[in-house]
Amino acid sequence: MKLWDRRPQTSRSETDPAPDAPDFSICPEQLQKAPPCQLHCPNSGDIRGWLGIIAQREKTGLSLEEAYDRAWRRLVEFNPMPATIGRICPHPCETACTRSDKDEPISINAMERFLGDWGLQRGLRFTPLDGPGRDESVGVIGSGPAGISFAYQMARRKYPVTLYERSTSPGGMLRNEIPSYRLPVDVLEREIEKIVDLGVDLQLGMDVGPGLSLEVLRQRHRLLFLGMGAQHARGLGIPGEEGAGVWSGIEFLRLKKEGRQVSLGSRVAVIGGGNTAIDSARSARREGAEVRLLYRRSRDEMPAADQEIEDAITEGVSFEFLVAPLQIIRDDQQVRAVEVQQMALGDPDATGRRKPVAMTGDTRRVDVDAVIVAVSQDPEFDAIPGLPLDHGWLKAGDDGRLGAGLWAGGDDRGLGIASLAISQGRHAAEAADAELRGSGATPGSEDAATARDQVKTDFYQPRLAVHPPRRPEEAWLSDPDAEITGTLTSEEAQYEADRCLSCGLCIGCEQCWMYCNAGGFVRLSQAETGTYYALLTDICEGCGKCIEVCPTGFLSPRPSEN
Amino acid sequence: MIATSRGFAKRWARLAESDQYSLSSGSRVAVIGGGPAGSMFSYFLLNFAEITNLDLQVDIYEPRFFTHCGPAGCNHCGGIVSESLLQRLATEGIELPSHVVQRGMESYTLHMDVGTVRLNAPGLEKRIAAVYRGNGPRESEPLHQISFDGYLNELAVEKGARIVRRMATAMERTGDCIEISCADGHHRAYDLAVVATGINSHFVESVCGSTARIRQPKKTTTFISEFRLGRSMIEETLGNSMHVFLLDIPRLEFAALIPKGDYATLCMLGDDIDDELIQSFFRSAEFKQCFPDAIVPPHACHCLPRINVQTARYPFDDRIVMIGDSGTTRLFKDGLGAAYRTAKAAARTAVFHGVSSRDFENHFWPLCRTIDADNRIGKFVFSVSGLIQKARFSRRAVLRMTASEQAGDSPRKRMSEILWDIFSGSAPYREILGRAFHPAYVGGLIWNLAASNWPSARRRDSETAGQGV
Repeated sequence: MKLWDRRPQTSRSETDPAPDAPDFSICPEQLQKAPPCQLHCPNSGDIRGWLGIIAQREKTGLSLEEAYDRAWRRLVEFNPMPATIGRICPHPCETACTRSDKDEPISINAMERFLGDWGLQRGLRFTPLDGPGRDESVGVIGSGPAGISFAYQMARRKYPVTLYERSTSPGGMLRNEIPSYRLPVDVLEREIEKIVDLGVDLQLGMDVGPGLSLEVLRQRHRLLFLGMGAQHARGLGIPGEEGAGVWSGIEFLRLKKEGRQVSLGSRVAVIGGGNTAIDSARSARREGAEVRLLYRRSRDEMPAADQEIEDAITEGVSFEFLVAPLQIIRDDQQVRAVEVQQMALGDPDATGRRKPVAMTGDTRRVDVDAVIVAVSQDPEFDAIPGLPLDHGWLKAGDDGRLGAGLWAGGDDRGLGIASLAISQGRHAAEAADAELRGSGATPGSEDAATARDQVKTDFYQPRLAVHPPRRPEEAWLSDPDAEITGTLTSEEAQYEADRCLSCGLCIGCEQCWMYCNAGGFVRLSQAETGTYYALLTDICEGCGKCIEVCPTGFLSPRPSEN
Repeated sequence: MIATSRGFAKRWARLAESDQYSLSSGSRVAVIGGGPAGSMFSYFLLNFAEITNLDLQVDIYEPRFFTHCGPAGCNHCGGIVSESLLQRLATEGIELPSHVVQRGMESYTLHMDVGTVRLNAPGLEKRIAAVYRGNGPRESEPLHQISFDGYLNELAVEKGARIVRRMATAMERTGDCIEISCADGHHRAYDLAVVATGINSHFVESVCGSTARIRQPKKTTTFISEFRLGRSMIEETLGNSMHVFLLDIPRLEFAALIPKGDYATLCMLGDDIDDELIQSFFRSAEFKQCFPDAIVPPHACHCLPRINVQTARYPFDDRIVMIGDSGTTRLFKDGLGAAYRTAKAAARTAVFHGVSSRDFENHFWPLCRTIDADNRIGKFVFSVSGLIQKARFSRRAVLRMTASEQAGDSPRKRMSEILWDIFSGSAPYREILGRAFHPAYVGGLIWNLAASNWPSARRRDSETAGQGV
């Protein structure tokens, strides 16, 4: 045993008797760890990677444009629609950001949008991966985020891909349900165009069912991916629900997106607490109606994104919590009111949210002219018999496998945010590609998580986040379809990228090099983002100082050999 | 004659040119490194500036936090402050609070193969204090700010200095300024750059790369480690005593074990301390016997800091001055005292004379040369003490002379004082050497050489060895 590893010429360990002091050396290893943002992104995007390309551009000798281009390329490896997702994602990554321990999390979503817009503005095109072209024909049903992601990942792997969409325009729920003030249609269309440019054959108006059976498609393609979403709105199952004056949330949003007139009357009740309910309420406000959102639990339990709820309040949507609809009261077919039951919060349910319990006898009438029901959705497989189902949802493996040559992803497997659908499309494509190539499962990211306390937040300068610009609140309703949130400027984007702590990966801060007495860190002549030093372990003196000063937690103690 | 006058003209031209360099209100001063030298420099500079109504902006570049435990917040040294330095600081208005002083040392315990002897502090003015440079060893539990460096840092900030939490990596002369650049791309121009980085960072190398004149100091490797023994165990085994080891191990000048709170700090000084040397020291019976059951416990942290063993050549240039360890220090001892002296001299020069090379040459360099000259004497003193260490008979003589002095046999404790000063750094080496040539000391040493090596004495000594404490 030695106190530390020394140069071979001074080592006499073979002739020395064992020393009395135990080995207490702490030698470093350069170990990349997964950052919390990536671990909390449903699509496990390499957020630190693309932020780092921008933040470290001077060290790696990139111009600003080159850095943005490269960052966009890194970003689209995981997500082909950054301008779209950068506008609508509720960004769980930001909630996890280590920087929130210090001041504010990085505005990751706004950065994603910035790069997405950069890609559109610069006309950056997707490039296929290296490797020979493939013959196996791929069919994708549904052009929502899951289908698009799968089609994109297969097309860049050089498979011939056909994307079937039953409606006359692609995009699925991104197109039909997300209101224009959150996502302008042309942004989505331009992003989808890039995927078509990659060679995807987009076929519109192709509804899988009696006219175009699954069997026919299975014969046409070597493999099929089902990304049909969950397009059947769940009802409340209460009297008065059927008939004019009652819409489902997705139905109402779709009509609005299609530019159709919906006569709501002057008072509207929206029932539900998710993002569809909020989108419906805010869209109804844009029709000039007085909107009440009725939710059976309290604000804390609402699944909708916080910012969306705030914005709905700003727009004048009033919220009534702890009320459950009992019936829709009609008079001469016309909707007149919703009778609601007062609720109270009971014990937590399986989702961890407190369960609403009826306060028997406590009911009242809420007078309205129309009702929008946005409580949940189910997938529909009536026209496609024979699929493996679990309680009405597609029963797929973790990688999206439904059966031989059959894959699935997105809301038809269970409701989730768009980012999750993109992730499922990507994972299914990776697994399907590996199967077709016979190369076995692709190695996923095996990096250990960065422990929060490994990042020395003290080291970084305190700097508050920049948030994207927003139109003045008073203009939101007067120009109802105009997008509310804007894109960061280039200066803001650089500033925000610089704020990234780069949890678990080197930023070239030079501290290890500066303080290593042994000279164990050698600057690499060809620096790359996240890679700046070679570590000479044989001359390490084991003081462990480099590990203690490393701000990102990239250096960690090397496990001892015995 | 002609040559002289030409040389004079040249020199005059240079002087006239460099005369322009001085600080005025609004001038910016960069201090690279927030250790004792950097903090004390900032403190003195702002003090002098206040007296002369000069409004200076002082930025101390220090990315580390002295509030962290372990090597990250530490400045790697034994942490011995002599009473003379404490008193000098007190006259400057710097009173070291009691919680920063880990332990006041009242004695030295000298360990040699021929026996052990304790030297009590020769009078109050020669006591020493043990401090932590950072906030304690790795895995210690800090209850409050105990760092000596952190304390001085705060003093400088109270005076008006600003701590820049960035790591300066390069220094460049741009036009009439010195530009400091940091690893994160930040850079700023200054009217004066003060290098106080010590020599355990690579900054000095980049300074020397930027000007042809400055040559960096020579350095050697030392070893420092911390042992966790617990307060009561420290009390029992080490007490309020600094344990010094004079052993005949090649390349080892000396080693010291300094009790501090729950821990004891081991410092080994010598000629490029390495693994082999450390192992031989750890195996020595003299070291082992300082611990319970003569077993050396595992250490909480260790490092191999470099120390300055030869003053930098010309540690200054126009608008640049190097203080503390990055310029010069006292050989093996009292680095904090040297940091204080160089910091104050540089600050005084900058405010009252100017910041050109000539100003530093006239008002700062003489101090460095004095220290340097004393170090040369120090080298001689250490080589003589090395000779004494090498021979068993001379070690016996030293032990006998000290032991009898400590027992109160002689009114002047000449050997004890010399040893004390060698180990504490309380006095210049010149003074120590002067005393070592005093006839009474020489006579005493010869007498003890004879007495301790007389066959009957040797027998008696070997029976009583180890009972001197």
